[in-house]
Amino acid sequence: MSNTKQPISNRLRSLPVASGGGLPSKTPTRRSPLPAGEAPPLPLLHQALHPPNPMGDPHLLSSAHPAAAAASARKHPGPIDERFSDPSPHITKRPRVAADAAATVGSAPYPEEEVRSLVIMAGGIYPLARAEALRGLAAVLEKAGTGCCDGAGIVECCYGCAVELMRDEDEGVRLAVVRLVGLCAQKFAARMDVDAKSDGDIMDLIFQQLSSMARDMCTKVRIEAFGALGKMQRVSDGVLLQSLSKKVIKTDTMSGTIIKGQKLPPKLKIPCAAGIFAHGIEDEFYQVRTAACTSLGALAKFSSQYAEKALDLLMDMMNDDTETVRLQTLQALFHMATYGYLSMQEKHMHMFLGLLVDANALIRNAARKILGLVNLPKLQMFKSAIDCLIASLEKNPEEQDIYGILFSIGKNHGSFSANIAKHLAKEIATASDGELILDRPRVKALIIVSISAPFSDDKHKKLDIPSIIFSHAISLLGKVSCALGEEVNQDSLLSYLCHKGGMPLWGNRSVSVEFGESESCKVETVEVGEQIENTAKATKCLDRVLVMQSVESILQTVEGAWTMRMSCDVCEARTILRTCKEELKVLAENSSGSIGAFLSFLCEYLDAIRLVVELWQLIQLDNSYTVGLTAPDILLEKLNISVRRMECCYAGLNRGLEVQVMELALLANLLGLSNIGACSKAVLSKLVWIINRLEGLCADGSCELSDFSREIKKTFEADHIGSALIRNIHTSVELFRLKPTTDFGALKAISGVLQVCDNNSENPQSYICGLPVGVSFNISLWNISSNHRLWLHMSIGESVQHTFLDFSSFEGDGEVKSGSMVVPLNTTPMAHSFVLRVCLIMECYGGISSNQERHGGPSDCVVQLSDELDVYFVSTGQR
Amino acid sequence: MAIECLVLGAGQEVGKSCVVATIGGKRVMFDCGMHMGYHDRRHYPDFARALAAWGVPDFTSALACVVITHFHLDHIGALPYFTEVCGYHGPIYMTYPTKALAPFMLEDYRKVTMDQRGEAEQYSYEDILRCMKKVIPLDLKQTVQVDKDLVIRAYYAGHVLGAAMIYAKVGDAAMVYTGDYNMTPDRHLGAAQIDRLKLDLLITESTYAKTIRDSKHAREREFLKAVHKCVSGGGKVLIPTFALGRAQELCMLLDDYWERMNLKIPIYFSAGLTIQANMYYKMLIGWTSQKIKDSHAVHNPFDFKHVCHFERSFINNPGPCVLFATPGMISGGFSLEAFKKWAPSNKNLITLPGYCVAGTVGHKLMSGKPTRIDLDKDTHIDVRCQIHQLAFSPHTDSKGIMDLTEFLSPKHVILVHGEKPQMAFLKERIESELGIPCFYPANNESVSIPTTDNLKMSTTERFITSCAAEQGKQSLRKRNLIHGTGTSEVNGCDEAAVEGVILMEKHKAPKILCEDELAQVLGMERHLVQFEALGSSGIEEAVELEFKRAEAADLGSDGK
Ligand SMILES: [Zn+2]
Repeated sequence: MSNTKQPISNRLRSLPVASGGGLPSKTPTRRSPLPAGEAPPLPLLHQALHPPNPMGDPHLLSSAHPAAAAASARKHPGPIDERFSDPSPHITKRPRVAADAAATVGSAPYPEEEVRSLVIMAGGIYPLARAEALRGLAAVLEKAGTGCCDGAGIVECCYGCAVELMRDEDEGVRLAVVRLVGLCAQKFAARMDVDAKSDGDIMDLIFQQLSSMARDMCTKVRIEAFGALGKMQRVSDGVLLQSLSKKVIKTDTMSGTIIKGQKLPPKLKIPCAAGIFAHGIEDEFYQVRTAACTSLGALAKFSSQYAEKALDLLMDMMNDDTETVRLQTLQALFHMATYGYLSMQEKHMHMFLGLLVDANALIRNAARKILGLVNLPKLQMFKSAIDCLIASLEKNPEEQDIYGILFSIGKNHGSFSANIAKHLAKEIATASDGELILDRPRVKALIIVSISAPFSDDKHKKLDIPSIIFSHAISLLGKVSCALGEEVNQDSLLSYLCHKGGMPLWGNRSVSVEFGESESCKVETVEVGEQIENTAKATKCLDRVLVMQSVESILQTVEGAWTMRMSCDVCEARTILRTCKEELKVLAENSSGSIGAFLSFLCEYLDAIRLVVELWQLIQLDNSYTVGLTAPDILLEKLNISVRRMECCYAGLNRGLEVQVMELALLANLLGLSNIGACSKAVLSKLVWIINRLEGLCADGSCELSDFSREIKKTFEADHIGSALIRNIHTSVELFRLKPTTDFGALKAISGVLQVCDNNSENPQSYICGLPVGVSFNISLWNISSNHRLWLHMSIGESVQHTFLDFSSFEGDGEVKSGSMVVPLNTTPMAHSFVLRVCLIMECYGGISSNQERHGGPSDCVVQLSDELDVYFVSTGQR
Repeated sequence: MAIECLVLGAGQEVGKSCVVATIGGKRVMFDCGMHMGYHDRRHYPDFARALAAWGVPDFTSALACVVITHFHLDHIGALPYFTEVCGYHGPIYMTYPTKALAPFMLEDYRKVTMDQRGEAEQYSYEDILRCMKKVIPLDLKQTVQVDKDLVIRAYYAGHVLGAAMIYAKVGDAAMVYTGDYNMTPDRHLGAAQIDRLKLDLLITESTYAKTIRDSKHAREREFLKAVHKCVSGGGKVLIPTFALGRAQELCMLLDDYWERMNLKIPIYFSAGLTIQANMYYKMLIGWTSQKIKDSHAVHNPFDFKHVCHFERSFINNPGPCVLFATPGMISGGFSLEAFKKWAPSNKNLITLPGYCVAGTVGHKLMSGKPTRIDLDKDTHIDVRCQIHQLAFSPHTDSKGIMDLTEFLSPKHVILVHGEKPQMAFLKERIESELGIPCFYPANNESVSIPTTDNLKMSTTERFITSCAAEQGKQSLRKRNLIHGTGTSEVNGCDEAAVEGVILMEKHKAPKILCEDELAQVLGMERHLVQFEALGSSGIEEAVELEFKRAEAADLGSDGK
């Protein structure tokens, strides 16, 4: 018998097929023609009086070896899945065509045949065979469920068979029974969808039967039974509630049904379901407890009364000594919270909040997630939850997601958050400057809770969040918005804070006006915020429209700041510009494509404006050198670089943007003139070039030359030496209007990333003093075209080496090109070690270069394209 | 055959458990306990009376063996008396842990009774040692062939370390004596565990015949909350306990909580309490709960991480701590000493067990909220500390008894080890809900349980073949049913009757054969009786048919 080595499932699988071909009643006569290795005729197995193996067909029984059966049991439901996808060699070898067809077509023509055979087999005297028969029934049932209408009878038949074997002496059989009954329950439930609630009692009956199995002495049976209980549906409230309490509840619902004149449900002799979950969570084996907890939570969606009581049991499981169980319990709670069936009570708080400071990070994390979803009915509970989160934050500062949780808790409890905000505002007001350290987790946490309040659902309540909170929130924005990443999209928070916090920042001269404004602005922003949040949740990426909304509001702030410069409040203007730039930066980091390029362009622009403001202040101070302020030369240089970057590092600048850049360039040069105090030829020629360019841009009338440009042009035409310009500089600058455009077309940012292979301070590259050394780089370039001229700028201390970058061999499309190359460093210093600083620079074509001689290097009009990179070297023999 | 069950102790009472079951003529004594409440002749089971009833000269010849379920004195207390005074010399069985721990329990009690009550000595220390020498240790699920017919086997019972339920079988008659057991596990002991056996009789304890206990989780939660609150407020927690069981249970609970909450407050065990007990637990790890069995290879759970070395003087140290001290009811010893020191401060906490004997400090604390306790005329203690009561019962509750009974589904149930009214209640439930006859005899009463005998029979090949053919027909019918009206009738038809003849001849094993084989086997010829019809034709035919049937029936009944 070659196939005795086959797994038992394979052999048994052939049984129904064998009998499917002919009438089993004839099996005794049929026996001989069957090929060797054929399965035995079924009815014989059933003969209780029959000696074990009279038919000379040993393999079924001999193979029913405990180990083999155990293996197949463990594999379950493997055999079911395999059943049709993988016809065993046994079946395919069979000579009978009918059987072949049955096996390959994928649905046996007579599932009833199989069921009947298996039911008979399930009544056999050998426990392993009984168990296998039950598994077979489960397999048939699984298949039958997929549509055929006569599946109904089959389900009943399987169920009846399983119920008869519920009290079997063999654990394996009982295990199979539980699985089969569980499956039947699912089928019943599915069917009841179709034909109403005609036999809802059967679900209660099955629930009770499974409950009694869940008290089995065999651990595996218990695990399975609890698993099956969790999958039950349409169980009546009474039975569900009974499953939580060991004491038998005198069910009012049952007597209620009599009053209504309905038929009494079949009274079970024993309330098997009594306290089954109370038993389950006390079980000795953590696997059983885990299964019980899962099911306990899963059933919560059917009854709120049940959910409330189940919560008590689940909360107790937080003291379980096994981590797996605690985690699974939290999972179940999370499940309940997601379905909105979790209402935390005061008595649970001590236990639950303890989890927030648990030694295990997984537990802490899971507990926090739940806290972010639940509803806390009392302010005291809310406060203790917040306190506990803060304690947790102080203990584990690396767990930044706590901020997100704080926000959602705050959002879920709007009026409580407003309460917190009120107290916080008082605290801020009474704290003298500097005393309230915003970096402290507690303050940060409370601010987040406070600003979350307007996002809450209880809109009908008027939530007064003192605006001072928002002004403080703005200064925390960088860190905080990152921490909130998941819950609220950064842009929504930003635009929101800008509206609310921006106002008091630069309008705090008159309190009354500010109050009125923020009041009117509130409703609108809350709605915007909510809308933003909703869309953000749906799309999960920054929406262009939303970003532009925030950008516009930021630019408004910037324009306000620019006008403030007039009132000589330079410091404040500077702060606003810095903050705005930070906000834009956050947005830029989370955007891509043209909009990303535009945002980084705007960052650059704000930098330039800030420099202009600072320079202007210096100039107004009559050029006197002020301690603590940066020297004007340096500022001027920075400004020039910034303008140059705007000119050169963006491909596809449209006319409006270019005018904007040119005007800024004009302003920069004007300030340069004023700084030097005399007219340098280079600056003047640059001015001419810019004015010409501006005129060219406005020639077709699509944009208009601004008053500022026109004034300078006029002055310059009158006096070519530029002394009049310097004289009139105040008037000219006064004319400069900041009106950044938000139309950016197909803007692209030109940039590069430079990486050095295998090098860091721990792992320096070796060299021989004085001799050249090769450095290998990986370079990626964005939006670089072939007419750009790129250089590698390499410096060791004061000495600089420029190497032209030939990227023609780089691979990639128009957007990204990348490649690697080895660049020789021509001279190395006579030192034990040195650090080489490398960056990518680009020549500004089209710009004005004062230095036409190149000396083999780039023109002096360059922009830096990549961050600066350190390459570490150590001389050989030093390692 | 029958099982005769004589209740010598713990009939309608708690104490001196002792039941003698006669199974197929073999007498087995289950447990041999003493009653701690009585100090007269009711102290021990009435052995002499039983002996007289049996009509045998001595216990050794009367009993096949004695089996002890666990080391509690109400289950083992009378054993030295029975062996050394009454002179039983037959085999005694108990589990390994029981054998290891029993001498200490017995000796402890002997000393206490001698010191305190000045009772006349019933047996000496030497008697205990001699008695224990005769004990044959049992392992769980180990089948012991006591003699040719009697087989016993021990199953895990929870309750205390080493507690067992005993299965006994003679021929086809089988029974289980549960002793004390617990169906819900705790941290250090597992739940009772037994196979689904075919039983004629189940003798079960019924301490909590009417009580249904809530989940222990709520109690644990309250306990931890109280302790945590106390120590975080800088208070001291005194936990008076007995050496075995509760101490380990509570300490595991606290140790685990300390670990999770990262608490650094010291937990102390007063000297003597743990050293020996924990050593036993470590030795007998196989008898503890699953969790401990699983984890002890990596970390012995009785090596408590947060338990610190303790010295008597620490009792005066400032700052919070938790102290476990004996005895459990603060009746003296170190727990009383600590109580005297700590009770006056309202920051401190005393945790009491669920039950304290009257007269002890524990009992006084439990009854009402005393502000002052008078130890004697001169010693008074002001009690301002918090008091928390925490009951852990190692006995199963009513639900557990029902669950076990339902699981085993024996043919009869006898209740012992309980209060009479509650037992009556439980008997009612078992009979009505499970449909199993139930008894709860008083002491010295006996109950006789009928048992079923299985008879082995041989059969002829022909009979088997005909059965198979019958089966086939059945199947065919069912098959048609499936195709016709549905599958509803498939189940239940399996036990279709087959016709045959049981032949019981003298001096031969009974045999089953087919009807038509009978004549051949008996060596007889087949006779045919015919009847002549006399009446009119219409009726004639019907009558003839009738007669033919009768004839067939006649033939069938021939051999029966
Ligand atoms: Zn006991």
